[in-house]
Amino acid sequence: MKKWIMIVMLCCGVLVGCSEKTYEPREIVSETDVCKICNMSIVHNAYAGQIALKNGDYEIFDDIGCLMEYIEANGEDEIGAAYIKDAAKDEWIDVFEAVYVYNKDYWTPMNYGVVAFDTKEAAQEWMSKEGDGQLLTYTDLDDFKWGIHE
Amino acid sequence: MGLVKKIGFALLFYLFVSQTVYADFDVQNAIDAAKPGEVVHIPAGRYHGNFIVTKPIMLQGEEGTELIAEGNEPALRIENTANITVENITLSGKNKAIVASNVDGLELRKLQIEDVHTGVHVQSSKNVRIHEVNVTGNEGHYSQKGNGIAVFKSEDIIIEDNTIEQVQDGIYVEDVKRIVVQRNKVTNSRYGTHFMYTSDAEALFNTYLHNVTGLMIMMTKDILLESNTVANHVDFNGYGMLLYDVQQAEIKFNTIKNNRTGVALQKSSNVQVETNDFQMNQTALEGTKVSEDTTASNNSFTGNILTARSDKQGFKLVGNYYDDYSGIDLEDNGFGDVPYVAVSSFGQWMVRQPVYQYFVESPSVILLTSLDRQINKTEKNMLVDNTPRLAMKDTEEKNKMNVVQMLVGLFLTLSSLWLWKRGITE
Repeated sequence: MKKWIMIVMLCCGVLVGCSEKTYEPREIVSETDVCKICNMSIVHNAYAGQIALKNGDYEIFDDIGCLMEYIEANGEDEIGAAYIKDAAKDEWIDVFEAVYVYNKDYWTPMNYGVVAFDTKEAAQEWMSKEGDGQLLTYTDLDDFKWGIHE
Repeated sequence: MGLVKKIGFALLFYLFVSQTVYADFDVQNAIDAAKPGEVVHIPAGRYHGNFIVTKPIMLQGEEGTELIAEGNEPALRIENTANITVENITLSGKNKAIVASNVDGLELRKLQIEDVHTGVHVQSSKNVRIHEVNVTGNEGHYSQKGNGIAVFKSEDIIIEDNTIEQVQDGIYVEDVKRIVVQRNKVTNSRYGTHFMYTSDAEALFNTYLHNVTGLMIMMTKDILLESNTVANHVDFNGYGMLLYDVQQAEIKFNTIKNNRTGVALQKSSNVQVETNDFQMNQTALEGTKVSEDTTASNNSFTGNILTARSDKQGFKLVGNYYDDYSGIDLEDNGFGDVPYVAVSSFGQWMVRQPVYQYFVESPSVILLTSLDRQINKTEKNMLVDNTPRLAMKDTEEKNKMNVVQMLVGLFLTLSSLWLWKRGITE
């Protein structure tokens, strides 16, 4: 009997493991990747973003502003994971957890002036070098006015 | 050693060595010593350093004058000044060749820029004219390179008669008011000319060949694109011209040839595409999320696989010539009697999935397109031209008489007759 229970538990464990799909970020390929929204080729990898869709597809973006425009148009239901490059470390970080800094004079591919960091400390350190900015969270980006600011 | 040998060695020395020795002339000292308005003449020679100009002078080189940047700093920096001219100099370096900041009145002419990441970088300046500058970038992929000529946050700019190759964007323009880009040639780069956040801009008589995209216009207002030649942009993401989030644009008298997509309009309003020649593009004209007043009129579409495609919003087609139009003109007014319908199922699919482009001439797609032509005859609104022009606009050659040619011909004929007659009588 114990043997059967063990087998059933093992099978359940395997099934649960299968259902928890992970969505890993993929590398940018500058030769072919273009922003899903604005069509610019991705040449400034330090600002790139990507969305891993639940169906296995990836959508690539050149700037956090374009990524947010995609989410606004398509919703979050089909998103498996969303990543943005950490401006300080050149590593992929979770869009929903990242700390953002806005300064109209920060250059980004779309000149939206918003860059991402994994921690508040990293953002503070960036501001001490590149100039003070406004700290933002993912929810602040929802109603952020994307565009060049005078 | 014989005298001839000595002379030979001396000549070889001057031929190979004199060009590469460091020149004695101190460029920075000469700049510092010059009074405002003076001309600093830099003799031929190779000058290594990072030179800075902060007063209104003219830097004039001659054949063989070369400034070579040391380290990551630019070869020449021009800052916080007015009325500067730099001419006839070759520049090279690891990063940027020339950086100009806060300059009112800058003229760069007859410059050769080679082996650099970025050619010319201008920011926060006005009244700038950059002409007859040749920029050749390094070998390699464009993602690893800088721009040929880049202008940021500036006003009243003229960029003309430049030749740029192998860079990221040939001419990059960001946040600029009033700019004319004309008679430039950009090849083998990412974008020929890239406008962002610019207003009151003109791109005229430029030639863009073999880039990813010829003209990339983004978030720009009030732009005229006229008489440009945009050809051979055939990459997976290649466009002759791509307008994204553009308001008020006129695209006139351009030759748009052999591109993956000739002209693409995205999220734009009030765009007029008039009297252009679309030849042999995979898709000639594409529009997504464009305003109702966007119109393509009096263009000629010849040899394109797909003439036009769009999302549901579509755009207007008026009085264009289509080589695949099969109607007739019984009224003899120069326009076909039945509308031309450009809607194609496959074209619409390609808008959604660009990878479908690889099936564009497959037998099943050809069959589908033929069926479309029969079925879509009832289409009334989307991508329909109710006045398709039947003949391309050719200039009528009139019987012109060249008086000089006629007189010369008459004289030669009469002379020949006279000589012939004289030959007979003798």
